[in-house]
Amino acid sequence: LLAFPSGAAWARGLLSWTRPERWLASGSLSPLSCIHTSTSQNSGKIGKWEKKNRIVYPPQLPGEPRRPAEIYHCRREIKYSKDKMWYLAKLIKGMSIDQALAQLEFSDKKGAKVIKEVLLEAQEMAVRKHNVEFKSNLHIAESQTGRGRYVKRVRCHGKGMFGIMKISRCHYFVKLVEGPPPPPEPPRTGFDQAKEYVQQLRNRTLVHTL
Amino acid sequence: VLVVVRSPLPRLRALLQRCWGRLERGLWPGVFGGQSTPWGPALAVQGPALVPRGMDDAGEGSAEAPSLREGVMWMAAPKQRRTIEVNRCRRRNPSKLIEIKRNIDVCPECGNLKQKHVLCGYCYAKVKEETRLIRMEIHKKEGGPFNAPTVETVVLYEGEKPTEKDEGKRIIERARKRPSWFVQN
Repeated sequence: LLAFPSGAAWARGLLSWTRPERWLASGSLSPLSCIHTSTSQNSGKIGKWEKKNRIVYPPQLPGEPRRPAEIYHCRREIKYSKDKMWYLAKLIKGMSIDQALAQLEFSDKKGAKVIKEVLLEAQEMAVRKHNVEFKSNLHIAESQTGRGRYVKRVRCHGKGMFGIMKISRCHYFVKLVEGPPPPPEPPRTGFDQAKEYVQQLRNRTLVHTL
Repeated sequence: VLVVVRSPLPRLRALLQRCWGRLERGLWPGVFGGQSTPWGPALAVQGPALVPRGMDDAGEGSAEAPSLREGVMWMAAPKQRRTIEVNRCRRRNPSKLIEIKRNIDVCPECGNLKQKHVLCGYCYAKVKEETRLIRMEIHKKEGGPFNAPTVETVVLYEGEKPTEKDEGKRIIERARKRPSWFVQN
């Protein structure tokens, strides 16, 4: 004998597939409360990176290892070139957050100041909202740059000549993960390459035969 | 433009006709004090000038060493587009990546980060601010430029009296407690 819910409860039961936990905004019941936290000037669209903070996993079973906290943060339309910003992003990839802040503080580049602000904001967010216990126990899992909107302008040369210059902007994305930074990979030696080669030779088989 | 000619001789007449013809065709621009340089298009264009020179310059063209017409031959220009793989190899070469700095320490006074061979930024800013306030007091006391006295200056904070060592010196008062890092003098 099935317990048959009636009315609104039955309709909600039917349509439960439209409300997976992934779409639930973190820490709130109404689905519309967090939509207006996006910045102005982006025509109302919330970027994919900002949405990654909203996923909520089901509670872990008692035997599972603890899932480390992940914090996604980004800054859009920074007045800097994406190629120049990439060098800084590559510098801090894989470092602990303290080391990254130290390196950025003494870097002479313009983007270093911006990235430092982004990291401090992300650290603050982690402690306040994402249940991170120690603010130093974070490391940078991913740090990427993206191309922002470009604008073309006229650049005057001598003798009435002109060129067209583009004013470039970039985005910066960072993902902080709780825990100590992973140990760096040992560089590939000749011995490793030889081992791989021998393994490839051993994997060869005969095909289309008896 | 009105040109008056009074029954010249036949040779002079022929010469005048030739000059007039050149003026009409625009091949003699130097007459009325205008610019004599050949004008070209206004866009930035490399290589030879696009305006064909007149017949008068054909004689001196061979005397000039490679004129603008031959300029295309000896200017370096890329032959093929550099692929993104080649570009990436060049841009991501370890020599172009930023090196990590290993000379960062912690300042023992304030606990901020500092480079080993550089003064701590926080402590320096702190001292600079205090110096600025002392200088403002000095400015108030002096009242104008070129009034610096010929004696030494002593800075005294709240609750401090000038000792017998500070007999002939100028005293600057600061209305706060002596900071822990300020030298007793």
